[in-house]
Amino acid sequence: MNSYIPTSLEEALKILFEHDCYILAGGTDLMVQNHRSSGLLPTFKKDVLFTSQIEGLDYIKVINNELHIGANTKYISMIESKFVPTMLKNVFVEIASPSIRNMATLTGNINNASPAADGTVPLILLDARLVLQSKDNKREISVDDYLIGFKKTDRKPNEMVTEIIVPLTDHKYLWRKVGSRKAESISKVTFLGAYKTSNNKISDFRIALGCVSIKPVRSKQVESKYIGLTIDELKNKKDEIVNDYNQLIEPVTDQRSNKEYKRKVAINLLKSFIDSIK
Amino acid sequence: MKIKFNLNKKDVIVDVDPSMRLLDVLRNVLHLTGTKEGCGEGSCGACSVLVDNMPYDSCLTPVINVMNKQVMTIEGIRESKEYETIANSFAKMGGSQCGFCTPGMIIVTYALLMKNPNPSEEEIRLALSGNICRCTGYQAIVNAVKDASKGGKHE
Ligand SMILES: Cc1cc2nc3c(=O)[nH]c(=O)nc-3n(C[C@H](O)[C@H](O)[C@H](O)COP(=O)(O)OP(=O)(O)OC[C@H]3O[C@@H](n4cnc5c(N)ncnc54)[C@H](O)[C@@H]3O)c2cc1C
Ligand code: FES
Ligand code: FES
Repeated sequence: MNSYIPTSLEEALKILFEHDCYILAGGTDLMVQNHRSSGLLPTFKKDVLFTSQIEGLDYIKVINNELHIGANTKYISMIESKFVPTMLKNVFVEIASPSIRNMATLTGNINNASPAADGTVPLILLDARLVLQSKDNKREISVDDYLIGFKKTDRKPNEMVTEIIVPLTDHKYLWRKVGSRKAESISKVTFLGAYKTSNNKISDFRIALGCVSIKPVRSKQVESKYIGLTIDELKNKKDEIVNDYNQLIEPVTDQRSNKEYKRKVAINLLKSFIDSIK
Repeated sequence: MKIKFNLNKKDVIVDVDPSMRLLDVLRNVLHLTGTKEGCGEGSCGACSVLVDNMPYDSCLTPVINVMNKQVMTIEGIRESKEYETIANSFAKMGGSQCGFCTPGMIIVTYALLMKNPNPSEEEIRLALSGNICRCTGYQAIVNAVKDASKGGKHE
């Protein structure tokens, strides 16, 4: 295994063009997945490109009411940033532990593409996009389209994520992470519901559910059925909404909990979100 | 590969594989064994060190990720005057029993108190939330951190 330690993006993209590599940012997923016993080097089956020395990928800025997050930005910087909305911060402060939040990136969370990832839930709810770059190309893709399956993304081997773009909004929201304990727990179910009202009517309505499918579940088609209703009309349709999401989610049993439990928790969180709308 | 970083206020250069865990560099290459290995996968905090004043799990940190940064281990913290206060409070409040978690607990306590000299109980529990202790049941550690903080009764 070779290690590559580029100091510029250009150099990194050239390396990815020439070699098939793992891309390692904070390492909090990759170092666990490739861990051997104490004292031994990790067992990477491919070359590794370390991103930590690349200049200029650690930033948070707002352009045209959208948040631009450099790929190497750690959770702690986002939690402490005045630009990052509280909805995202509330999700990030519940990820892993304080030390992991000092080390790890949201880019890593997206690319690890775990069904239990917390960071992708608000990104899908907010229609966030990724910038991917390769030596000869630069493209944008929504996080929803990027996540294509269990631990699978749309990334080509010579590409890397360079930026995350999140549209800023002022939705009211409810975020709940259900895990086995407060810190350091991989989620069993996550729920994020958001809405906007104007003149007593629902002007926007969005729901994203984590851990109940291969990636966070969101359906714009279902959401659009409820936009334009008055708050009371929406609440009267609670059974219909529950039924819609019951059909959308497909939890599976894993080490942490069984599928019936996850379904029940997800639906209970959905109900309490609808009750909370005012 | 030669990798340079600042360790406990002195520059060091190690000639190791860039993917080597910082924990192994500290313990096996530099023979600083104050940093402990518990789980080896980011869940227990026994391997906590400070990187640019922030707690990191050294078991998940490839050494290349601290190149040109400042690393502090318990051996470096021991030289600070804050250490004495914290260590005395841990001793007084029974915050250490077998001692295996203690270097990590002191590292996160030190980082917390440097940033927030007068933390609430909730802030203390949050700061310690990545560190596991199999002996004390935590309350004694929380009490020790309170005692070591500015609002504590530490003399
Ligand atoms: C104890 C513990 C608790 C955890 N708790 C949680 C939790 O509560 N919630 C949660 O969601 N996660 C949790 N995690 C998982 C992990 O910390 C997160 O997924 C983290 O965000 C990964 O970021 P990283 O920078 O460390 O990624 P890395 O391990 O460096 O990389 C992860 C993946 O992203 C890819 N990657 C990295 N950078 C790029 C790039 N620029 N372009 C393309 N691909 C890239 C890597 O190739 C790899 O596939 C936990 C992990 C541990 C060890
Ligand atoms: S040994 Fe590093 S967190 Fe447990
Ligand atoms: S004192 Fe024994 S693990 Fe904490």
